[in-house]
Amino acid sequence: MDLSDPVLDRLRQVAAIPDLGQTRYVLEKEIGRGAMGIVYAAHDRDLDRSVALKVFDPTFAGEAQLIARLEHPAVVPIYESGLLPDGRCFYAMKLVAGTRLDKYAAGSASLAERLRVLRRVAEVLAFAHSRGVIHRDLKPQNIMVGEFGQVYVMDWGIEAIEGTAAFRAPESSLDWRSDIYSLGVLMRSLLPESSSPALRAIVTKAKSADPAARYPDAAAFLKDIDHFEEGRAVEAWSEPLWHGLQRFGSRNAILLWLLFAYAGVKFLLFFLRTL
Amino acid sequence: MPWDTDTAIGGPDGRFPSTQLTLLQAASCGLPTEALDRVLALYWKPVYRFIRHKYGKDNEDAKDLTQSFFATALERELFVRFDPNKASFRTYLRMAVERFAANQHAASQRLKRGGDVAFEPIEEHASPDDSPERVFEREWQRQLFGLALDDLRALCERSDKALHFQIFQAYDLTGDDRPSYAELAKLHGIAETTVTNDLAWARRTLRILVTERMRGVTSGDSELREEMRRVWI
Repeated sequence: MDLSDPVLDRLRQVAAIPDLGQTRYVLEKEIGRGAMGIVYAAHDRDLDRSVALKVFDPTFAGEAQLIARLEHPAVVPIYESGLLPDGRCFYAMKLVAGTRLDKYAAGSASLAERLRVLRRVAEVLAFAHSRGVIHRDLKPQNIMVGEFGQVYVMDWGIEAIEGTAAFRAPESSLDWRSDIYSLGVLMRSLLPESSSPALRAIVTKAKSADPAARYPDAAAFLKDIDHFEEGRAVEAWSEPLWHGLQRFGSRNAILLWLLFAYAGVKFLLFFLRTL
Repeated sequence: MPWDTDTAIGGPDGRFPSTQLTLLQAASCGLPTEALDRVLALYWKPVYRFIRHKYGKDNEDAKDLTQSFFATALERELFVRFDPNKASFRTYLRMAVERFAANQHAASQRLKRGGDVAFEPIEEHASPDDSPERVFEREWQRQLFGLALDDLRALCERSDKALHFQIFQAYDLTGDDRPSYAELAKLHGIAETTVTNDLAWARRTLRILVTERMRGVTSGDSELREEMRRVWI
């Protein structure tokens, strides 16, 4: 059977549409595509609510189950899984309303807010790594910031996923350290041009070409972010003395002011006594 | 349904000339005949179109070159030497055609012009949208779906589902002038839900048949997944 271009395109489209006739969901529209499968917006007839429906090849089922067992506030919760008549699998998930991180980063969020988002991402990575799951494709397009400030890391990877070139670690075989690299690239994309040298050093360390030179895990990365926010020295940067003094000064400003005031009073009393 | 006016080879009548089948079957390529049939059914026309588009060959020359390519490929055990770690079978085959056709084309140019003529692809300045590679992939998709549709039609006839196919044909194979579900229901004297169910069955089955066709010409699950990703919109 020979097919015209419009008919061929229609067939390519309709044969990919999941048949949800035997499920409680009604398909609404396609909302995204990842390496693992296609995500649709759908309506749950039983509970009268919108859901996101991820449809994927059954060869991914084993790893997908592992990902589904990740229970964390930054992982989109899965309501139900099932099998379609054509053999593909699906997950019904919470339909996240919010802003994709790349769009969020292009806005006017403060540095503190950007670092808060980054912390949430690093926390969920640390959690996933502790359960043997690596993301493999961490990038702003896979992170959502919800309307109440929640952060969701989506599209968790499977072994077949190669990652996105701009965020992918250079090594051929990906492991948890590859996620640390992507986290570094992600952090660079979130920071303003004129960010502090300590933050730039964290980015450089996280995205070292040599996996052994990166942070050993997401927890170590988080620790350096904590140190920066608390005004302490970060592991990634051997700061010059003057910078250390400046940082000490700004971190202990009240104490220094009190000491200065105390010294001033003492000096005044001494001066008055000598009159 | 528009028929290919250039050649019926690999088209709806079935496959390719029986002489070629015999020739290919006779060649000892180390592949089971059934697998070889699948390769030829799916790739004959994409190769033909690629040669026509890239080298500006006329219908008969392109057919001859295509036939020569497959015969040579079998003689030299091209399919057996395919290494799935390096490329998909589709890419491997296209590159092999490119090399083969370029050599043949260059040889024919030398003969015509007394030699010493640099080879220059005719479609060198084609826009990226209709590059020979794009033509090849598009034809591969067309052939893949065409064969799967033939399978679907045969399956419907075998399993008393002719109405399923008629509904699917009226709704999905007619371009933009498709009837509504209600019109189809009225036409066939059935409920609208039956129309949607039959349509869903046909689409679902088509997907399975496309996958099966593809499975026959790929090296394993990994390549199959990659190729399937290129097929669906």
